[in-house]
Amino acid sequence: MIKFWNKRLKLGLLTENIELEDEIKELEKEIKDRVKKSFAGSLAIRMVDSGSCNACEAECNALSNPYYNLERLGIYFVASPRHADVMLLSGLMSFNMTPHVKDAYLQIPEPKWVITLGDCPAMQAPFDKTYAINAPANNYLKITHHISGCPPTPLEIMRGFLEFLRKI
Amino acid sequence: MRFIARYAKELHNSFEIVTIYDEKVERELISKENPKIKTLAKRYPSAIWFERKISDDLGIKIEDAFDKRPLVHQERFPRDIHPLRKDFKQIQIQESDYLPYKYEEVGGDSVFQVAVGPIHAGIIEPGHFQFSQAGEEILHLEVRHFYKNRAIEKMLEGKTLLEAKPIIERISANESIAYQICYADIYLQATKQKLPLSLKKYHALLLEIERITHHLTDLGFIANDAGFAAALSFGSKLAEDARRQMQKLTKHRFGFSAVDFKNRDIDTDSIMQWLKSLKKDIDFFEDWIVDIPSLWDRFDTTGVLSLKKALKYSCVGVVARASGMAVDRRIESFYLEHGFVMASELSGDVGARFKIRIQEIKNSIVMIDNFLQKSVEALELNQLNDGEYHSFCESSIGELFMAIDIKDGLIDRFFVRDPSFINWQALHLMMRSDIIADFPLINKSCDLSYAGNDL
Ligand code: SF4
Repeated sequence: MIKFWNKRLKLGLLTENIELEDEIKELEKEIKDRVKKSFAGSLAIRMVDSGSCNACEAECNALSNPYYNLERLGIYFVASPRHADVMLLSGLMSFNMTPHVKDAYLQIPEPKWVITLGDCPAMQAPFDKTYAINAPANNYLKITHHISGCPPTPLEIMRGFLEFLRKI
Repeated sequence: MRFIARYAKELHNSFEIVTIYDEKVERELISKENPKIKTLAKRYPSAIWFERKISDDLGIKIEDAFDKRPLVHQERFPRDIHPLRKDFKQIQIQESDYLPYKYEEVGGDSVFQVAVGPIHAGIIEPGHFQFSQAGEEILHLEVRHFYKNRAIEKMLEGKTLLEAKPIIERISANESIAYQICYADIYLQATKQKLPLSLKKYHALLLEIERITHHLTDLGFIANDAGFAAALSFGSKLAEDARRQMQKLTKHRFGFSAVDFKNRDIDTDSIMQWLKSLKKDIDFFEDWIVDIPSLWDRFDTTGVLSLKKALKYSCVGVVARASGMAVDRRIESFYLEHGFVMASELSGDVGARFKIRIQEIKNSIVMIDNFLQKSVEALELNQLNDGEYHSFCESSIGELFMAIDIKDGLIDRFFVRDPSFINWQALHLMMRSDIIADFPLINKSCDLSYAGNDL
């Protein structure tokens, strides 16, 4: 473990804001106020994959790596829809997932919002409609905000969350 | 003989059943009147999903199978629809009445069932796991998938190869490069051309970066599932570095549309620098992680897949190599000449799969170094010829098999067998002596694709 702590001290903090830095700074107060008022200080997100290629999930996982470290903004991914404020929906709303997505949405306590992630749920990814695809998702759920991209990069997802917070 | 895949296609007057082994391909024609096949599952247990899928897709009965339940078609799927039949053209179907799925369940005094999924606790793809439990101990697990089914095979029918490309590279993003390599290989078989060495190197370079990214992510998540979060920070940092290399090389973090027939003028110095620091980091990681006894207490002897069972279930990839099976599509002269050494472990447990990933990252670093070159060679493509083409590629998960039939310049049948489709069927064998709390750890140590499995 000594080796690890040595390395840890040498490495320092990796979190970077890059282009978002100024934007985040500007928005920080606004976000904090909004998150505080609407979400008691923390915005809880339940991610649901309704038939993705798994890149959109990988980019959401990347949000927790030391470079992006999303939780510092008070935004968390939670394990159950019952703990969530927002459903983050990726994928093509496959025929087999549609009832489960609707179910998960029902389990989220009011007030609740849906953000769609990536081109898939908007039926804008390069897939054709088949019998097994029910996208676009707005036929089934009221979508508050859409984050486009195939997949959206972690930075684009962060920016998307900020835009969502501005909207509500 | 190793079983690889079994699939069916509709011909004019009959159905053709194609069975792929490592040593041969078998074809059987069956009549369209009351179509039925005999199961191979008695000899090759993992044939059963292929056969259940054939049954859903085309309405072909499996005469003597012990398991005739639908596979892809779930509780609300309209009965008597077989979407891979050529006369099925609907692009919207209505939910029918709910017909419960009969899970494999172990009964008995105080034995109970635990249903997990399809939506899981983490940021992870959907699938269902049904456990029969005696207290904490797992008696049986049934893996049930196809929640993500998008009907990729049907979607690609009638398209040109060029139109199919953006879809094929998005079947399973964590193996996108491997899918693209199979596609490119099939393309060149159809134009009767060979891939020049410089392009082969470029494709292989991307494939090894994809593998490194995938393995690094897993090294973090596997340890995290055993409660060791520091490894996740470390692994995910290195994985992000690798993804940024992919972005630099291909202008896309997952390398979508990166595999084509022209070389890029790549910045070899910056890649070499990255390789050097990655080598240092992975050595440090290994040195550090093997020293943490509480972690290996969880890894060792957990989720064991014996060699005998791995062989019986025709396993592939990291899972197979961790159980002592010598399967890797890179055992061929091109890779061997560029420094490929097959990773191998014998214990078949979570620890073995973890160590395989470390070995493979180190070997990929050596190979990438050998693949680096300055070349801008490009290949002019000839006319496509109709025909049936097969291709293999060793993705980060394992052996990928793709088959495309081209008729009148268009795709007549597209079939792909993701390595996960085989390995998922062996997952339940790893649970025999473990408790339910070990499941996430065991599952993550295999890190299979749901999207590639479900299509
Ligand atoms: S939007 Fe693109 S990256 Fe995201 S799941 Fe769909 S195909 Fe994959």
